[in-house]
Amino acid sequence: MAATSVRPAARAALRCAPAALAIVLLALFPIFVTKPYPIGIGVSLFLAVLVGSAWNILGGYAGQYSVGHAAYFGVGAYTAVMLFERLHVPPWFGLPAAMLAAVLVGVVIGTITFRLRGPYFVLASIAVAEIIRLAALHFRGFTNGAEGFVVAGAPTLHLLGLELSLGTKRSFYWLTLALAVGAVLVSRAVRRARLGYLLLAIREDQDAAHSLGIGLAWNKNLALALSAALTGLAGAVFAGYTRFIDPNTVFSLTEVSVRMVLICLLGGIGTVHGPIIGAVLLVLLEAVLVTPRGLVTIGLLPSDSALVAFVGKWLSPAYLLVEGVIMVLLILFAPEGVAGLLRRVRARRRETAAAAPSPAP
Amino acid sequence: MILFLQSLLSGVLIGGVYALIGIGLTLIFGVMRVINFAHGELVMLGMYATWVLFVQLGWDPYLSILAVAPLLFVWGALLQVAVVNRALNALPQNQILLTIGLGLVMSNAVMLGFTSDYRILSTSYSSSSFELGGLSVSYPLLMSFLVTAAVTVALSLFLLRTDTGQAIRATAQDRLAAQLMGIDVRRMSVLAFGLGAALAGVAGALVAPTYYIYPQVGGAFTLRAFVIVVLGGMGSVMGAILAGVLIGVTESLAAVYVASGLKELVVYVLFLVVLLVKPSGLLGKSRA
Repeated sequence: MAATSVRPAARAALRCAPAALAIVLLALFPIFVTKPYPIGIGVSLFLAVLVGSAWNILGGYAGQYSVGHAAYFGVGAYTAVMLFERLHVPPWFGLPAAMLAAVLVGVVIGTITFRLRGPYFVLASIAVAEIIRLAALHFRGFTNGAEGFVVAGAPTLHLLGLELSLGTKRSFYWLTLALAVGAVLVSRAVRRARLGYLLLAIREDQDAAHSLGIGLAWNKNLALALSAALTGLAGAVFAGYTRFIDPNTVFSLTEVSVRMVLICLLGGIGTVHGPIIGAVLLVLLEAVLVTPRGLVTIGLLPSDSALVAFVGKWLSPAYLLVEGVIMVLLILFAPEGVAGLLRRVRARRRETAAAAPSPAP
Repeated sequence: MILFLQSLLSGVLIGGVYALIGIGLTLIFGVMRVINFAHGELVMLGMYATWVLFVQLGWDPYLSILAVAPLLFVWGALLQVAVVNRALNALPQNQILLTIGLGLVMSNAVMLGFTSDYRILSTSYSSSSFELGGLSVSYPLLMSFLVTAAVTVALSLFLLRTDTGQAIRATAQDRLAAQLMGIDVRRMSVLAFGLGAALAGVAGALVAPTYYIYPQVGGAFTLRAFVIVVLGGMGSVMGAILAGVLIGVTESLAAVYVASGLKELVVYVLFLVVLLVKPSGLLGKSRA
């Protein structure tokens, strides 16, 4: 046992190497490239990895497809911004407060909705998120209603004697990169921990899991708390980055809740690396569809490119059309996402490799 | 008191249209066990079709029902054959994602074609009303209620009296048994989706004179339709009618006595309560 465990450990270290290298390269990237467009795409990408991994813990591992995660995203955003704008609480405390608020809301929502299963749970999760959005729109005295908040100053983060200005895109780039890496590590840890196996058991068969003594409500709520905390954190950072929030943006059903599901669906629901793949694909797609001019600014396309003009005129206003088509195609032909496709291709290659020597004379 | 009766009346009238949307959704669910999250978008398509017919050809919205209903029937049948039918055996959650995707496609395609501007279909009677026993009755709301009642009666007769209608109900009751009895369940599914879409289209035509018409208007109708279908009992047509009127009244009363900005919120809270207390709905068999 001891002898054999050395090789897997070495192999595991080797397998981590490309990921570590990628993180180092990504961290060094803004030192060499200072154009705002690619830096902005980096921030979107890391936020997408963060929310995708967050959703995946509940939706992927535990199989509880929440289409109402905008509730946690929005609550996180509003908590951090309102603490800063109303009470002048620095974001250093605002971020954990946002996570805490999201967890509290999550526990309440979880207690209500986890009694429901399958499609009923999905419907309830949507209803709860919509209730919070409508309340945020209505109670103007508390939330500013549809006006939302403009985050005025660029706060400086005092962290262990370091002064981190949150005014620049680059600082957000590094912050979100760190958070994305952290979220993936959390997701990986959950997947490998006892909790991960309990969640998978619940996903595969709730009744069987329950009969084996697995507490359904407790474990689902645990997964939701982790998921909500990370989502709330993402909402708070998003608010600081865009410097503006309103209920229809941060509580949006399509642009937040459905998008989180789409990130995981695209990459592969229930796998650690699925949300990363999905985030990369979706953010690149959105970058091309929503801001095709950006490709000109980084010199990939000439400024008179017909493609940029076409996309800008026809697809930018309705990029969700493309995302809808992708969603339909994925469900129909690749419900396990790109990760599932890769697995299938690898399995087929192994099969042909195994079959190849046999016809030899 | 007069305020209460007034809001009760408008609630019942608008509830009729909600019922129509709910019936379509419940029919689709009953026959295929697929939750159609693009249902509100079908209503939206009905609204746009009515608006185009009105602006381009000068057709009266109530007359254009005759064109909108078959149009949406064909579109719904097409969606069923091309997309939804392929996912009959997928996880229910995946089916929801599939139809959410379809909804995104429809609303954003319309946005490309017609921009996201708010359209208004103003007829000579859009804001006209008449007095009845001290209450003011909105003419377009009354008309839409009457049309709804007629369509509902016709649909009930179709489902109860004709062979095809009975085959649809049989498929909804037990798909396998229906198949064993020689019913072409695939055809019934296409028919049910087409009918559901046509009903949504009719509802769209009926609300077109009184609502703003814009590509994202469907979302609110989808959620309302779910509340109605769950409240009435998944798959129950009678339940959908009852729940539709109930939701209309709830919204109307909430707008007056709570706050107009909170009427939808009240409905969603009601929805959660129903899901938790009696997920099988008012007239549904216990299945959940």
